[in-house]
Amino acid sequence: MDAISDPRIGVYVCHCGFNIAATVDVEAVRDAAAERPKVVVSRDYPFMCSNAGQDLIKQDIRERGVNRVVVAACSPLMHEPTFRAAAEDAGLNPYLVQIANIREQCAWVHHERGPATAKAQSLVNGAVARVGLHEPLQPMRAEVTPATLIVGGGITGLQAALEVTESGNEVYVVERQSTIGGMMARFDKTFPTLDCAACILAPKMVAANRRASLHLMTMSEVESVDGFIGNFEVVIRQRARYVSRDCTSCGECVKVCPVSVPDPFNEYLSERTAIHKAFPQAIPSTYLIDRQGNPPCMEACPIHQNAAGYVSLIAAGRFAEAARLIRRRNPLPFICGRVCYAACEEACSRAEVDEPIAIRALKRFVMDWEREHEPDPQPDPPEHHHPERVAVIGSGPAGLTCAFDLAREGYQVTVLEKHDRLGGMLAIGLPGYRCPRPILERDLDYIRRLGVDMQTGKELGRDFSLEDLLSDVPGFGFKAVFLGIGAHEGRPLGIPGEDAEGVITGVEYLRNVNLGLSQPTGRHVAVIGGGNTALDAARTARREGAEVTVLYRRTRREMPADEDEFADAVAEGVRFDYLTAPVEVLTRNGRLRGLRCVRMELGEPDAGGRPRPVVLEGSDHDREFDTVIVSISQRPDRRWCDTERLAAARPLAFTEWDTLEVDPRSLATAIPGVFAGGDAVLGPATVVESMGQGRRAAEAIHKFLRGAALDDFKSHLPPEQPRRGFEERPYRQSRPYADIARLPRARTPKRPVPERLADYDEVDLGLSEAEARREAGRCLHCGVCVECRSCEEICPPQAVRLDMEDELTTVHVGQILVATGYKSFDAAKVTQYGYGRYDNVVTSLEFERMLSSTGPTGGKVVLKSGEPPRAVAIVHCVGSRDEKYNLYCSRVCCMSALKFAHLVKERTDADVYEFYIDMRAFGKGHEEFYLRVLREGTTVIRGKVAEVVPAPNRDGSDPHLLVRCEDTLIGKYREIPVDMVILCTALEAQSDAGAVGRLFSLSRSPDGFFLERHPKLDPVGTTTDGVYLAGCSQGPKDIPDSVAQAQAAAARILSLIAKGEVRIDPIRAVVNEALCGGCKTCIGLCPYQAIGFDAEAKVARVNEALCQGCGTCVAACPASAITGAGFTDDQILAELQGVLAPVGSR
Amino acid sequence: MKYTYYPGCSLHATGVAYDMSMRAVFGKLGAELVELEDWNCCGATAYTSIKETVAYAISARNLALAEKAGNDVVAPCSACYYVLNRTRRSLAEQPELREHVGAALAEAGLQIGFDTPVRHPLEVLLSDVGIDRIVAAQTHSIAGFRPACYYGCQIVRPFAAVDDDPELPMAMERLFCALGAAPVDFPPKVRCCGGMLVATFPEVAQELCRELTGWARERRANCIVTVCPLCQANLDLMNLDCSGKDGSPGPLPVLYFTQLIGLALGCSPREVGLRHGLAPMPMETPPLPVGPGRT
Repeated sequence: MDAISDPRIGVYVCHCGFNIAATVDVEAVRDAAAERPKVVVSRDYPFMCSNAGQDLIKQDIRERGVNRVVVAACSPLMHEPTFRAAAEDAGLNPYLVQIANIREQCAWVHHERGPATAKAQSLVNGAVARVGLHEPLQPMRAEVTPATLIVGGGITGLQAALEVTESGNEVYVVERQSTIGGMMARFDKTFPTLDCAACILAPKMVAANRRASLHLMTMSEVESVDGFIGNFEVVIRQRARYVSRDCTSCGECVKVCPVSVPDPFNEYLSERTAIHKAFPQAIPSTYLIDRQGNPPCMEACPIHQNAAGYVSLIAAGRFAEAARLIRRRNPLPFICGRVCYAACEEACSRAEVDEPIAIRALKRFVMDWEREHEPDPQPDPPEHHHPERVAVIGSGPAGLTCAFDLAREGYQVTVLEKHDRLGGMLAIGLPGYRCPRPILERDLDYIRRLGVDMQTGKELGRDFSLEDLLSDVPGFGFKAVFLGIGAHEGRPLGIPGEDAEGVITGVEYLRNVNLGLSQPTGRHVAVIGGGNTALDAARTARREGAEVTVLYRRTRREMPADEDEFADAVAEGVRFDYLTAPVEVLTRNGRLRGLRCVRMELGEPDAGGRPRPVVLEGSDHDREFDTVIVSISQRPDRRWCDTERLAAARPLAFTEWDTLEVDPRSLATAIPGVFAGGDAVLGPATVVESMGQGRRAAEAIHKFLRGAALDDFKSHLPPEQPRRGFEERPYRQSRPYADIARLPRARTPKRPVPERLADYDEVDLGLSEAEARREAGRCLHCGVCVECRSCEEICPPQAVRLDMEDELTTVHVGQILVATGYKSFDAAKVTQYGYGRYDNVVTSLEFERMLSSTGPTGGKVVLKSGEPPRAVAIVHCVGSRDEKYNLYCSRVCCMSALKFAHLVKERTDADVYEFYIDMRAFGKGHEEFYLRVLREGTTVIRGKVAEVVPAPNRDGSDPHLLVRCEDTLIGKYREIPVDMVILCTALEAQSDAGAVGRLFSLSRSPDGFFLERHPKLDPVGTTTDGVYLAGCSQGPKDIPDSVAQAQAAAARILSLIAKGEVRIDPIRAVVNEALCGGCKTCIGLCPYQAIGFDAEAKVARVNEALCQGCGTCVAACPASAITGAGFTDDQILAELQGVLAPVGSR
Repeated sequence: MKYTYYPGCSLHATGVAYDMSMRAVFGKLGAELVELEDWNCCGATAYTSIKETVAYAISARNLALAEKAGNDVVAPCSACYYVLNRTRRSLAEQPELREHVGAALAEAGLQIGFDTPVRHPLEVLLSDVGIDRIVAAQTHSIAGFRPACYYGCQIVRPFAAVDDDPELPMAMERLFCALGAAPVDFPPKVRCCGGMLVATFPEVAQELCRELTGWARERRANCIVTVCPLCQANLDLMNLDCSGKDGSPGPLPVLYFTQLIGLALGCSPREVGLRHGLAPMPMETPPLPVGPGRT
């Protein structure tokens, strides 16, 4: 007998007691069914799902040759598996069974017997017509990997993990925080037993840590999940702790960390250092460093100087360490402390509160301190030694930085300087009042101590050539060359008469004055230009006794000079004429006598964005001057490379602005081994930008000499600085930073103006120690860790590893438990309770931390003032049972509110008032606890609190808070004065529940928590096979219930592991590859991402394990290439015909 | 900017100072107010509890007239503002009511219409004119004022006039800070003043107003600024007992917010109707120096 071709249908109509039989005439249905084609037996029975009922089916299969079964009964959700199993027991393929639901959709929803019976008959007809076309489908079997993933290391996740690993099975616990323990680790006592949370949790945490098969991955989050039940592939990102497992938890690092930020573990009520452990019993006990990316000051600095680091050390009074930290990355700290343009200050986050930190002034303070207290700082000797020699041409900031970095790397560096003084622009460009000589010497000395050989009076082009340097001639033999020759040639104006005596470029003027060469300055000096060099020349001319006028062709707004420089120039009596430009030099006997000028007006912006100056017709006028200093721009001196030899051999290229052309990233020129940077490449730039180039060139030279690719640079160059938007800066959003007190920025005192002009001594006087520490204290620590490395230095087992990186791990697991917990409702949303506005209005979580002996008050219940409260109000349902926020009840708050009442009474003499809507004390021991709390004298008031206001201070007593509410039991409005208000906030789904849900294919219920498979019968399962829920991620609940769910989930997990394999229902979509055109319509539609595309065969393929048989792809396929097994077109159409057939006909 | 001005019963009577100051301020800021022709009572009376449909019809007559006039309606009195908006909403949501009221209006030769927005002058000044323009038009200093900004209960919900937290609106504070005054923290800013109860249960209204003035004094305000003529009257009445002698607190002037803006914009005390208040107003409003950087 062929089961396929010769169907012999058995129909079984169930009475279901009165459920069906009361409304439907089951005998009539039985009889009508018996008349249908292919039906060989038709029965009715009171309870088909009973053993006796099932036996009827089995008997008929065995003895009557029934090979198709129709059961007319309740919903297939109830008993389809029952009848399929019965058929299987009797040797019939279970998929040859069809259920007709004549209860839920028929008997239960209709009243009249006649129509109900007719409908039942139609439904049975449909089932009978269909079942003949059923095929004996075979379920798939997949092996189950015994390892399990548990997401969330709170009490729920831990409990489940311990249960599952008890039998030796592997579990990966992925926890986002740095310690396991979750929310429970933050509670003080738990209700109703008043067990100390840490005391009952710690043993579980320790056990979890010790079990070999339990792999704790803290600071970790799941990045992706692929696969299906029994076979999941999960990628986990483990964030770097920056401390290795060698950490012994000795805590020495905390003592030296200069950074303190509000502590999230204590709800920001106290502070903790950057290197820390979440709480004393944290597991793992390894410390971690809170690093929220590089602080913006460090990112903005072209040499990546760690401003936040030394500023924090200054605030802590640790000046020697600050100086050492500065010297780690800055070869010219004294210079920078005086002249740097401070990109760091421009990026400083403090500007969002009041003004940026005066970082440069602080650096100067510390370096001056070092000069007084540590006159002979010694650099650390380099760790390696390389035999190669490198030549640095030019001893300006670029060259010196390049030399410094290379020397520290272990190379032999020789600096060749053309002039008889070292320092480049620092010595010959910057006037002494900005860059005093002793200061420069001190910086140069430090570099010399690294073994850098600095030679003066050696000019490229005159004393040696580039080829000489790279040749093997003794005295040379350099393997690489850095050209830091600067831009020392002033650009001419290009107006007639410019070559007259008395007209000089700014750079030449300053060079002569600074080198002490003969440089006459007249009495009426004109300076043309608006940059820092022009102002340097102007202020120098003032000190030489002249009347100085700066002529600038645009306005003040367009002048590139520093604000500070400009203010000083004005104070020193320099006059400024805007919108004026010279057009001709007027001479007498070849000597300058004045300038013919025109007035300008501002026109359209040019390519650089600045308004183009336009000459005003007819505005020519003559001015008398005896010296004209032209300071409009500079370019590198090229005379040394215009030699025939060089031009013929390997030419160096120049850009259209006359600067050296180099590769923008590696700073390499066209000649291998020759690099260039600084003003020579950038044009006139700032000291620190040139230093940045020198640093990049050193890194490039090191890679070049070691044969590495000129790629993947770690050092900054000015154009590559990432600019982070302000909102992305760390900690900006946290509440404590919302109201930082505004403090003024420290102002550097300056010498009085008349004194200044008498000499070239420094104009700025430094900050005092008290001012410096106060100013440094304004730093917000926006990146938290400032990389001062004090922890690294002091750590006894040397466990600090600042170069650690995030790690990605892939694990293979069979099942996943999502136990991600909850978050607390933001009480600030309920404005009328004053949270965030009034002192002493706290949330339940904040109060838990206050109660905890390891918390911010050491377990004492005190007000912000430190005094104990006289009365405390505890408000229920903040954010719960509220149409505006969450409709649901958070289940635990009533009990924790009572717990708070008890603890307040225990620790203080305060009166306690509870404001509730209903008192929910439903669990074991809860009602008894409620009674106990009432007997202790807590006043319970039934009424939602309307608002909390500060009480008017009318009678002179301490101000306190008033709770205004309606006492509904006595029908009165009450105002109750209290000192502290505790808001019992709702439990809500985590803020990233949506993203986590998508990761694990979990739906959410309307309240936001993850959706269980069935609220009554399957609270830990989900509709995604192999993924389970437990704990508060599924809905608010207390610890006993969370533990119960954890154990339930563990049981499910263990049961599947024990089975070793999983059966996958064959009601799935199947692609007919011959018909599939590869259009991929189905792939995007599948809600379970169960369809993949075989690129070679160009057909879609259904992953049978992931497919849930929804049929979307079947309906969508334009080629009808997909069929749903068990729901083929023929089967569906046959069912329709059966249902539509007139009742009672054959 | 042109608006249909709906003064309501009070602004031509006890609330005349509000009318004067509003016209002065709008005039200075270039906004035109055209009084609604032949307006009638807005319906903010107890009559709604007696004959609701008739009350709505009376109220809707104003809306119909305003619809014809065409421009947005500005209703300074909080109660008028509330009731007219409630009428709009009820007519929009209840077809039967619409039918009855429509029929009644048709008898009067009017077509029912309730699309025209009814706005409060505080919101009009902040949204349509904007704080920046008001500050730019400021000519006199109000730095001597420490107002307790009192919004009352009707303009924050259910028809929020200003886009602020209804429990903690700060619109007036923002405006007056920008104008150089020093508004104080005023916790009961959205509590009721007692409203009509001043006529029927005066002791209740007095208790509520005592709360309000008590807070204002404790927060060291030297005036209260209101948006509603009834609030102003109720609070001002407290000044009858405040002679400052024998230990009783001195008077606390209660101003309309438009009066304070008017003073800042250069109106004289007479122009903004200061003499209609019960308490003297000692604060000075010297002219600001002309030129940049004056605030």
